[in-house]
Amino acid sequence: MPRRTRLWRLVGLLAAVGLFAAACSDDDGDEAADEDGDEEAAATGGGDGAAGGLLGEVQSRGTLQCGVNETVPGFGLVDEQGEFAGFDVEYCRAVAAAVLGDAESVEFTALDAETRFTALQAGDIDVLIRNTTWTSSRDGTEGSRFLVTTFYDGQGMMVNADSDFQSITDMDGTTICVLSGTTTELNLATAAAGAGVDITPLTFPDNEQLQPAFEAGQCQGWTSDKSQLAGVRSAWPEGQGGPDALVILDDTFSKEPLGPVVLDGDDEWADAVNWAVIATIQAEEFGITSDNVEEMTTSENLDILRFLGQPIPDEEDPEAEAAPFDPGLGLDPEFAVDVISQVGNYAEIYDRNVGPDTPLGLERGFNAQWEDGGLLYAPPYR
Amino acid sequence: MATTTATGTRPPLWRDVRVLRVAFQVAVLAAVVAFVSYLYDNLRANGVEFDFGFLDQQAGFGIAYTDLRPSDTVLDAMLTGLRNTITVALLGNVLTLILGTLVGIARLSGNWLVRRAAGVYVEALRNIPPLLVIIFVNSAALATLPPIQEANEFGGLLVVSVSEFGMVSPADGGNAGAFLVLLAAALAAALALGWWRRRVEERTGAPAHQWLWGGGLLLAVGVVGYLALGSPVVLSHPEVEGLSVVGGARMGLPYVSVLVGLVLYTSSHVAEIVRGSILAVPRGQSEAAGAIGLSSVQRLRHVVLPQAFRIATPPIINQFLNLTKNTSLGVAVAFAELMRVTNTVIGNGHPAIQAILVAMGLYLVVSLAISFVSNLAHHRLQLVER
Repeated sequence: MPRRTRLWRLVGLLAAVGLFAAACSDDDGDEAADEDGDEEAAATGGGDGAAGGLLGEVQSRGTLQCGVNETVPGFGLVDEQGEFAGFDVEYCRAVAAAVLGDAESVEFTALDAETRFTALQAGDIDVLIRNTTWTSSRDGTEGSRFLVTTFYDGQGMMVNADSDFQSITDMDGTTICVLSGTTTELNLATAAAGAGVDITPLTFPDNEQLQPAFEAGQCQGWTSDKSQLAGVRSAWPEGQGGPDALVILDDTFSKEPLGPVVLDGDDEWADAVNWAVIATIQAEEFGITSDNVEEMTTSENLDILRFLGQPIPDEEDPEAEAAPFDPGLGLDPEFAVDVISQVGNYAEIYDRNVGPDTPLGLERGFNAQWEDGGLLYAPPYR
Repeated sequence: MATTTATGTRPPLWRDVRVLRVAFQVAVLAAVVAFVSYLYDNLRANGVEFDFGFLDQQAGFGIAYTDLRPSDTVLDAMLTGLRNTITVALLGNVLTLILGTLVGIARLSGNWLVRRAAGVYVEALRNIPPLLVIIFVNSAALATLPPIQEANEFGGLLVVSVSEFGMVSPADGGNAGAFLVLLAAALAAALALGWWRRRVEERTGAPAHQWLWGGGLLLAVGVVGYLALGSPVVLSHPEVEGLSVVGGARMGLPYVSVLVGLVLYTSSHVAEIVRGSILAVPRGQSEAAGAIGLSSVQRLRHVVLPQAFRIATPPIINQFLNLTKNTSLGVAVAFAELMRVTNTVIGNGHPAIQAILVAMGLYLVVSLAISFVSNLAHHRLQLVER
């Protein structure tokens, strides 16, 4: 019975591997426990008693568990080196820098659309930053809390560059390719009615069927979220003329605010993540970048000093020892310095991943500072 | 007296077939009613209103290659989906029967090349999932056909583009209604004439050319009527206007892909049924027909096929139903059939259970109608049997 012997050998091998793996993970467990002890001691020693919930848990664990996308170019993608990269991924790093002081202490979990909220609810991840649109029903029924929007997206229209279409008002009588099971179909009908043009949607179940139809000219336009269209366009095959063969029209048909999501019921953690994001926005408004953040710590501007957690001289009593401004978020007063020096301000993150010089080539649009007519508006540091 | 003896020999109630039959049906009915009312109560308890008012609301979306506009109602949208399903089913079933029969006969051909070619066709298509066949046809069309702006036009008879096809078709040139009535009357007269000639043939034994007489009458009335009514029917030529085809019979690429894909796939199954049924006709029948001097075509037409089709009808009806239900695979190539439209309706926030119930009801009506018509044909064939 040679076969049976072989089978037993295989079982034995598997058992051995299993034991070995168990032994290894035991080691990991011990190390982690040691780290826990140290960090906890440090935290209590620092007098930071507030960090009890998820914030304290993350700080004592020493790593941030972040749920991201792995398939959308520019937002969350695993690159050739096997590293996570993208706009959302950098915001995970920013949160880690603010909370832990180290932007590299992040463990990424790749999630798809169906499992993202489940992973959050099950506590597998601390924060979800995976181009997730903030809607009332998701906020209400998924037990989740949506934080400051990092990217204002909207449904757009992509057409061939050599067509005459400048705007949706030119597209009377056209057929438009759209994915089924999305709200984009209704948004398109509403937009067409608003523009007073007659547009017929051609609905496909997924992009694999939609793209060849669009390439062959079965439809004259392709509608989806603008960031996704930009991703598709950036990866357009050279045989079809490359990205320059396509243009994304300026029209925007819907509101898609994308931002970090945390679990309901832990306000302290939500505040920490929120202000890590706000720090990047405020830094751009102040003109602080990863290059000049060191100089800025000696700025004359009190607002900047307060933002960067630097000692502020007391005007009434110049003799007293200058103390840094602490907003009481449970974070290191210099958290903004960590975020900006290790990750960068909003403009740097944007330009690196999705900006005009990247393959996606997205203009700032709504994602500009409020002073420039955009929607980015950081609450004041007071 | 006789009745009392009969009741005396009757089995006890719980073993009486007549009682059991009724009791069983009542039990099933009660179970169904209980289940439905249970579902209904649960829906009510969960705050889900079980009404079909959404059918009268605005659909909010249009459907490509149809007249549906976003301002039409949800019911209109679902009926448009149903119409797409039915047109593919009807035309597809007719084409499948023709192609399947030809291939099935070809598989039994004495010609090596014909036999082998038919064999390859059947074995290749029968073993591929229908979805793949549809996607293959669609991909081939996408890869080869020009966009609508550069559509190929064949002398006003045919327009071919990657999004729409147009075919020349008859259209009303004024008085078309009167002409159709005239033709119908002529057809009835031709049938009567043919029946009379056949009686003559049976009585005298001499060939009475029933087809020639009937067809001749129909043709004569048609030509005279056409001239008298002043071109009541004209040809509508397809043309590309802007980004769509105007005139003629218009078909979207999704429709053509689904139709061609399903006909190719289903006819491979029908071919096997036809082949099997022909082989099931006893060899002696064909030999006897040969012995009385019939040619091979005559043998097939008058002796073998009539008997073979009697055997083949029930499984072929099954294939018709399969093709009808497989139209839902058209989703993959953006064909807006009933299921696709239902999904869109649900995706747009209309109640899922009611929408699915409506779709199921509509599918049931179509399938039952096809079974009914096919069974009629089956029974008619059965009556001929001695």
